Amino acid sequence: MSNPQPSTSRRAFVKSVAAGAAAAVGAGVTPGPVQAAVRAVQYAMVIDTRRCIGCHACSVACKAEFDVPLGETRSWVEYVEKGEYPNVSRHFLPRLCNHCSNPQCVNVCPTGATYKRAEDGIVVVDADVCIGCKYCIQACPYDVRYLHPDRGTVDKCDFCLHRVSQGLVPSCVNTCQGRARIFGDMNDPDSEVAKILATNPVTVLRQGMGTEPNVYYIAADHSDERDRRFDNHYVRVTTHRRAEERR
Amino acid sequence: MGELHWGLPVIGYLFLAGMGAGAMTVSASVLLRGGGGFFGGQHFRIARYGALIAPLPLMAGTGMIVFELGTFQVGMREFDFSLLFRWINLFKTLNMSPMSIGSWVLGLCIMLSLVYAWTFLSAHARDDDTFRQLRNALAWVSIPLGIAVAVYTGILLGAMPSRPFWNSQILGLLFMLSALSTGVAGILFLYAFHRTEENNHAARHDAGYILAASDAILIGFELLVIFLFIMFAHLTVGDPAHAIAVILPGGSLAVLFWIGVVVFGLVVPALVELHHVLPRLLHQKPYLVKRWVEVAIGAMVLGGGLLLRYVIVVAGQVTGPVGI
Ligand code: SF4
Ligand code: SF4
Repeated sequence: MSNPQPSTSRRAFVKSVAAGAAAAVGAGVTPGPVQAAVRAVQYAMVIDTRRCIGCHACSVACKAEFDVPLGETRSWVEYVEKGEYPNVSRHFLPRLCNHCSNPQCVNVCPTGATYKRAEDGIVVVDADVCIGCKYCIQACPYDVRYLHPDRGTVDKCDFCLHRVSQGLVPSCVNTCQGRARIFGDMNDPDSEVAKILATNPVTVLRQGMGTEPNVYYIAADHSDERDRRFDNHYVRVTTHRRAEERR
Repeated sequence: MGELHWGLPVIGYLFLAGMGAGAMTVSASVLLRGGGGFFGGQHFRIARYGALIAPLPLMAGTGMIVFELGTFQVGMREFDFSLLFRWINLFKTLNMSPMSIGSWVLGLCIMLSLVYAWTFLSAHARDDDTFRQLRNALAWVSIPLGIAVAVYTGILLGAMPSRPFWNSQILGLLFMLSALSTGVAGILFLYAFHRTEENNHAARHDAGYILAASDAILIGFELLVIFLFIMFAHLTVGDPAHAIAVILPGGSLAVLFWIGVVVFGLVVPALVELHHVLPRLLHQKPYLVKRWVEVAIGAMVLGGGLLLRYVIVVAGQVTGPVGI
């Protein structure tokens, strides 16, 4: 990718379309998708829950990577247990910030401390600007944010920006022994995530919130014990967090 | 059940800022439109009470909310001044966040309310003194700004799909009506305390009559909006219906809401007000009300307003979207 910067100007668009048309005329074929000219990097993660064994290595790696305070979590693994013997199941649901394309946390932040990076789509919190108003904690539908008790500012998963900017994968991805977490630029058709997304049925969490998450799941169990559909079924969710119930 | 990230400071702030903004709006409208004789010549006095009250709850509420900021709390613990004053960042930018717009509007409102109160400060302030022009000009700005502060407190909470209890279009209207009604109650409360026997009898009663009557009307609208708020959430399927159950019979906040907010905060004071207002309205009898009744009505409406904020702020945080 020569130009990872997104461009939304009309002139750039006209140019790219014109270039595509010119190329098509020149080659004497109908133009294919005019993709490359304006394509931003959007880092994304696919979590293949079929490969997750619930070992919490990712949660531990994350705690160590960022010295996350006791009782708080940037990334964690939930257990979803269902059914009556002998028809039972147990699924694992690794969780982290979804680095949404329409992030509610960014929409409500009054100081601009939380923002989505134009260059790679990672949603970050600038701890030097954040005032700790906790509006973003309220607004995130995934409860992935917490108030850092020593700093008084909000903290959350940043896709290991310090590692990713050095060409490494996030710490949780690095440590996952089942290779359940796959990370990369979903806008690059040659990346592993893009290929997996193209060839597998995937879901996102709480799609109805309109946040357009960039963390995708394969074979996720979306059951929730508060869902009234399951009133007559045994469903138990263990969050492994201080907040024992999902929000 | 979610954690309470926003607690008493936010509850107190929503109540106090609403009441201050309400008192300011009421004061300004009485000043501008009340000269027509409805207040028996007392309109200026009522406007003065409203104007003098308004800055106090506005500033106290704003002061309270600073205590909810994570940086302020850590700053107090560690004596770190840069953290204590980190909230300045709110005023280094202006974006589309309801909190950002709200902070600016609130800041403007506080400054305006201070200048507006200052024009009333002298004990000899009269409608036709040298401040008249400035005072009236400020009053014209006070009305939209006061309404803006009152409405924005509802938008602040209502802007988030992740909080289905709050995510209602009508919450802003509910908070605005409650702000106006508590603003009137604040004025009534103060007015009742300052009732003296030397006061011109009829005039005093006129003023109390208008205050009580407008409060009863506002409470009527508020009950209607509460009905709509609950009905539309209840009739929806999914997250809002699930969330509203927390204040419906059997919910953990139901008793506080129905007994505390609806019965004692709204219905009882409105009935007492109507009991005193109707004889005059229907039969042109003189408006007579004991001082302690006026004080009690004011206190109940104010308490109800505070409880309403409490129930709503807590209910929004102990409920959430269903499913993952
Ligand atoms: S998951 Fe939450 S914190 Fe992360 S980008 Fe989306 S809304 Fe923001
Ligand atoms: S807590 Fe910080 S990051 Fe979150 S909305 Fe407030 S200022 Fe923005």
